[in-house]
Amino acid sequence: MENFFDLVPLVVFLPLAGLLINLFAGKQLGETGVSIVAVGASAAAFLVAVLLWIAQVDTGYQAAVIDAPLLGDWISIPSAGVNIPWQFRVDTLSVTMMLVVTGVGSLIHFYAVGYMHGDERFPRFFVYMNLFLVFMLLLVTGNNFLMMFVGWEGVGLCSYLLIGFWFDKPGGEGWKNSDAARKAFIVNRIGDFGLILGMLITFWTFGTLDYYLPDEKPLVAHTETADVEAHQAGQAAGSAGLMGVFNQAETWLEEGDHQVEFGLFSLSFEATLTVITLLFLLGAAGKSAQIPLFVWLPDAMAGPTPVSAFIHAATMVTAGVYMMVRSNVFYHASDVSSFVVTLVGASTAIVAGFIAVGQWDIKRVLAYSTVSQLGFMVAAVGVGAYAAAMFHLVTHAFFKALLFLASGSVIHGMEHGHHHLEHDGEHVHDETFDPQDMRFMGGLRRKMPLTYWTYLSGTLALAGIIPFAGFWSKDEILADALKLGVDEGRLDGYLGFAILLIAAVFTAFYMWRQVSMIFLGGPRHNAADHAEESGTVMIAPLVVLAFFSLVAGMINIPGGFPVLDSLFGEHKFTGWLEHSVTYAHAGQFEGLLATSAVVLALAAIFAARAVYNNRALKDLSHDPLELDERTSGMFALANAKLYWDEFYFKFIIYPFQRAARWLAEQLDWHFWHDFVHENVIYRHFQRVTDFLTQPVDRGIIDRAFIRLAEWTQALAARVRVIQTGYVRTYALSVLLGALLVMVIILFPVIRELLGI
Amino acid sequence: MEITVEAIVFLVFSAITLGGALQVVLTRNLFHAALYLMLSLFGVAGLFVLLTAPFLAGAQVVIYIGAITILIIFAIMLTPQVTRVLKVHHTQWPVALALAALLFVGLVWTQTPLADELGADGWSADFTVEDPADVPADSLTDLGKSLVDPERYMLPFEAASLLLMAALIGAVLLVNRPDDNPDAEAAPAAGARPDQSG
Amino acid sequence: MFEVPGLGDLNVAATLPVTSLVLGTCILLIVDLFVPTDRKHITAWLAALGIGVLLVLALLALGEITEFGDGEEAFSGMFVADAFTDMINVIALITALLGVMVAYNYLERTGIQRGEYYVLLLFATAGVMFMGAAGDLVVVFVALELLSIPLYILSGFRRPQEASEESALKYFLLGAFASGFLVYGIALIYGATGTTNLHDIWQAAGDIVAGHKSGRFLLLGGAGLALVGLGFKVAAVPFHMWTPDVYQGAPTPVVAYMSVAAKAGGFAAMARVLASGLSNFALDPGEAAVWQDTVWLLAILTMLLGNVVAIVQTDLKRLLAYSSIAHAGYILIAVAAAGTAAVADEAVQSVAIYLMAYALTNVGAFAVIVAVERDDATNTGLDSMRGLANARPWLAAAMALFMFSLTGIPLTAGFVGKWFVFKAALAADLIPAAVVGVVTSLVSAFYYLRIVWLMYFEESEVEVSTPWPLAWAIGVASVGTLLLGMLPYILTDMVREITLAFGG
Repeated sequence: MENFFDLVPLVVFLPLAGLLINLFAGKQLGETGVSIVAVGASAAAFLVAVLLWIAQVDTGYQAAVIDAPLLGDWISIPSAGVNIPWQFRVDTLSVTMMLVVTGVGSLIHFYAVGYMHGDERFPRFFVYMNLFLVFMLLLVTGNNFLMMFVGWEGVGLCSYLLIGFWFDKPGGEGWKNSDAARKAFIVNRIGDFGLILGMLITFWTFGTLDYYLPDEKPLVAHTETADVEAHQAGQAAGSAGLMGVFNQAETWLEEGDHQVEFGLFSLSFEATLTVITLLFLLGAAGKSAQIPLFVWLPDAMAGPTPVSAFIHAATMVTAGVYMMVRSNVFYHASDVSSFVVTLVGASTAIVAGFIAVGQWDIKRVLAYSTVSQLGFMVAAVGVGAYAAAMFHLVTHAFFKALLFLASGSVIHGMEHGHHHLEHDGEHVHDETFDPQDMRFMGGLRRKMPLTYWTYLSGTLALAGIIPFAGFWSKDEILADALKLGVDEGRLDGYLGFAILLIAAVFTAFYMWRQVSMIFLGGPRHNAADHAEESGTVMIAPLVVLAFFSLVAGMINIPGGFPVLDSLFGEHKFTGWLEHSVTYAHAGQFEGLLATSAVVLALAAIFAARAVYNNRALKDLSHDPLELDERTSGMFALANAKLYWDEFYFKFIIYPFQRAARWLAEQLDWHFWHDFVHENVIYRHFQRVTDFLTQPVDRGIIDRAFIRLAEWTQALAARVRVIQTGYVRTYALSVLLGALLVMVIILFPVIRELLGI
Repeated sequence: MEITVEAIVFLVFSAITLGGALQVVLTRNLFHAALYLMLSLFGVAGLFVLLTAPFLAGAQVVIYIGAITILIIFAIMLTPQVTRVLKVHHTQWPVALALAALLFVGLVWTQTPLADELGADGWSADFTVEDPADVPADSLTDLGKSLVDPERYMLPFEAASLLLMAALIGAVLLVNRPDDNPDAEAAPAAGARPDQSG
Repeated sequence: MFEVPGLGDLNVAATLPVTSLVLGTCILLIVDLFVPTDRKHITAWLAALGIGVLLVLALLALGEITEFGDGEEAFSGMFVADAFTDMINVIALITALLGVMVAYNYLERTGIQRGEYYVLLLFATAGVMFMGAAGDLVVVFVALELLSIPLYILSGFRRPQEASEESALKYFLLGAFASGFLVYGIALIYGATGTTNLHDIWQAAGDIVAGHKSGRFLLLGGAGLALVGLGFKVAAVPFHMWTPDVYQGAPTPVVAYMSVAAKAGGFAAMARVLASGLSNFALDPGEAAVWQDTVWLLAILTMLLGNVVAIVQTDLKRLLAYSSIAHAGYILIAVAAAGTAAVADEAVQSVAIYLMAYALTNVGAFAVIVAVERDDATNTGLDSMRGLANARPWLAAAMALFMFSLTGIPLTAGFVGKWFVFKAALAADLIPAAVVGVVTSLVSAFYYLRIVWLMYFEESEVEVSTPWPLAWAIGVASVGTLLLGMLPYILTDMVREITLAFGG
């Protein structure tokens, strides 16, 4: 079965092949051909991922490092000790990511075939999607930070291309789309800066960027100390100093007192790790949309809905979480960083959750929800619950992709209804209509039943209602946070727990608000009245995802859970991850905590149900929360996104402009213009010129001389015919000249050779 | 002159390089030209391998093929009208070809005595990977160091960075949307065609 | 890691004028970001101020009042700081200063006022200065590109005007083509000598000549190809064809600067490579350098074609383009003369003198065109000079002076330049070149003086704008032209110390 590991390059090359085929032959293939190639490439990659999964199980979870064909010695300078090979890593963590990316990816590719039908750039869309797959898989399969970084930048590029995919929409929409794309790119760049810096320091510290070298076992914390010593002995005997970054870190931490030299100063190894991890956090904050860099993600919803589902909910935005889990050895070693990570994650979770309550746009609510859930994952990393973070990443990929796809289906239905109206001429074209605005919806439950039921299952999963997937993963994060607080008396544990619990309540509330506004009550706009269920191509992925949203939680039943633990086995997923994530640890089931979390979520749902009751849903030009004066202030704040963008403008961009203007005013106008320019130079010069002005009127030309030149004029007229204005003629002339010069200068040699 | 495996590989890569380059200039489709450029650069990478410079070969693949030509292709794809095939009639290419061939033949011909004097014979100099003396162990490090060594190439290196900055400014200036310019329309296209004036 | 030598060992101080120019430009680039669009004269002022300060420094160094650093070599021979370097620095900085003054109001009224203009101009100036100071072929090449690329961009500065864009593209494509020849030449020279350092090349060339080795063929090829690349920069025939189109299309202030800067840079590099590095490269020891014949043949071609074709031009900018080609021919005579060891110093000095005279005169002439040009880049035909003397007597007088100087009439700087060039040519026994030079100078009188005729003896309405920076530029240029013409010893004193050939 080890042979299967050699298949891992295929996981990247298959989508690459798909992308190349569609790139070169997309026009000829037509929509059907393009769809088959793109979906096929994605599905084949999924198949390979499944084979790798089986191989993992079969080999007893052996991690394997596979050299990439052709690019083995990617960057290698033996004399300087630099060696960054292009290697794939197959271990349980990377296989998990591969399964999620290709699995969810295949479904969304399939869905996109229906969603993008009829778009003029249909082939290009799938080229971008496959390109994204290539880079995302590079990101998760690489065996070193640099490969991850290549993927990291690549997915950023694809994200940029896809957000701005409809850059030419009429009526200013296109500009808005490309502005959103630019915003995403620029904000991500700030994060990337942190990641690059972190990588450089990592390289400086360890002399390598490899996670683990081939044939190197992770020094797992819960193995016996004897093993660690034996390993060290083996290392020392074999090739001293050759270790991947994580094992090297473990060794140095074990030894203690390791100093890292930075030329002018040195830092203790622990402090270095803190610096590295904080820089990595900045990178993660960019890609995974955490405070303070989360502002790009809601705008990124300008892209087509499959893109929102795939890139901006299920996969790319989790890259930051993946990166932090991958570096769990570092984060585990730094309490300071862990504290900061918890704080960043938890506050993102609650801030985004709060803003989501006040949004009207169906996709914006989901976008803020994504930011909030990413906050959960990041906070989980902060409290050391790496397995729980990955678990939530997996379940979230399912139900958030589901929600986005279902919202795409809703938008499609609404647009269909709107077209229908225009077609019948019943309704004059109305400018205010927006197929994504929830105020125009309502009562879609009857029009789009399948969409409704799948959406409902996604909602319940996200809200954390037992037995849906979200319950298990969210509960594990909460339990781990609380455990950290109780067991070790750590403040960040308590703090994370409390904030996340409140954020979870927000989650349940805004999700039910959304369900009520879209599906319940009666239609509030004629378009909603004429909406139709989407086609099978779009519904089928929804059903599959809904199924997984229901059952995906069973892969990691906490220990001690009644009945289910014996049925599905205890924390299977954690056990699987432990083979690659050093500090993964299993969560214990806390009956009281789980019950209270579910009760709180249910309470929030009922509260939402009470607020958005049938009467309130009749007329929704104003939110019930907005009308009630006790909550109107809060709602306005949420609706305005806490003035976050405005804050950036007011305190960063505007002061910068003001400073520039002030300088110009003082330096330029008052000093240069008024004083130097006007007084000193201008008047002075005027006096001089006045004094000197006297006409000179003289000049004699010999007429005969002109006649002498007349024949040259005729000659010149002939010569200028060559001056054609074409660059190629001029280049030819240069070439001719070169030949001429060479012949003249080599003339003695030529004469010698010819024997003249 | 004996035909070795190296010689054959050399010939193959040379053919790829030159053929690709030829197609770059000959094809009328800009997009195809970019692809042929990629092919040609790949051939160059192969030649680097043959010269026992694997790092250069890798760099060639990653930077030129992986980054630059891909960028060119993106640029072409994002500007749809660029891929339109233009019919251009010009008849001077045989002259250009003849001149280039003459230049080439002349150079080769006049340099032959030198080759004889150096005793270079066969397809490649006696230069093998097996012989460690032929492959300077630290060549890459030396290269890297000498670029930043103030006693060696630091000055031109820094000057080159200025050059790139100037080019960067130029690129930004040239792609800037012209509507920043208030009287963009005011300037009529006089055209630098000399047939009006000289 | 290597030992980092101290600043003193590297003799960084010797590079002071150019390094401070480069640093200042980088700072200016950042400062410019804070300057609002309607206040770009701050940038212009800062640029002019910086150039002024450096010009003072360069003049001090040239006059041997102060010396920066000790010795002539910096950066282990990469950079040469001798009298020739100082002279090229002065020429480059004067040109840059005049270039900024000419450009400012033109950019303002044609609506292309941008801070980058000045930054690019300064970069190009740094390129010229590096070229004058190059002690290594690598530096020559990098400096040549540092000069060229800003010029390509500046040519297209009047985007989206088609003519400007077209000229930039033409210049760029052909320039890149020519650079290829230069690099190929450098590669061959390296192949023949195993070094890129000019002094080492000189030594290696001496060995090759003395040993009568076959490497001389390779070196010959290298010298020829390098000559092609540099010949393109200075617009020598037959590499000149870009010149008229680019000069006509590019914004006039750019042409004013470019016509001098590209020439100064190109000839500085040519002097460094040929008259210094390959000065002793003859097929048989004791003969004149092997490139001498080629260069004077090119010179004759260049003078003939430039002067003859200029006659039929009806556009002032095109006319001056052909005129600049012709002047490249005159300077090439001097370069060719440097191939004879006995007159090498005299010849190189005459190159410097000619460049100085040409810088003042040519920028001045273009400045007058800037004054008459309309905002839409029209009115640059010969007709625009009609009746200038009545409307603007001083401007017409200045233009007449520049035309006299370009013709080479005594008491102008142009005469001094030609005088020394022809003198060097005669000393080096290049009689045919000298004769063609004198004859074509007479021919050139036809088209230069026709402009004077138009100004003084014909009538027309004229509309001219001479804001004060432009007026000052024209004033400085004409005073300089006149002063150097009447007191030639200023120039000879300036270049007295120049000697490029490596001794013993």
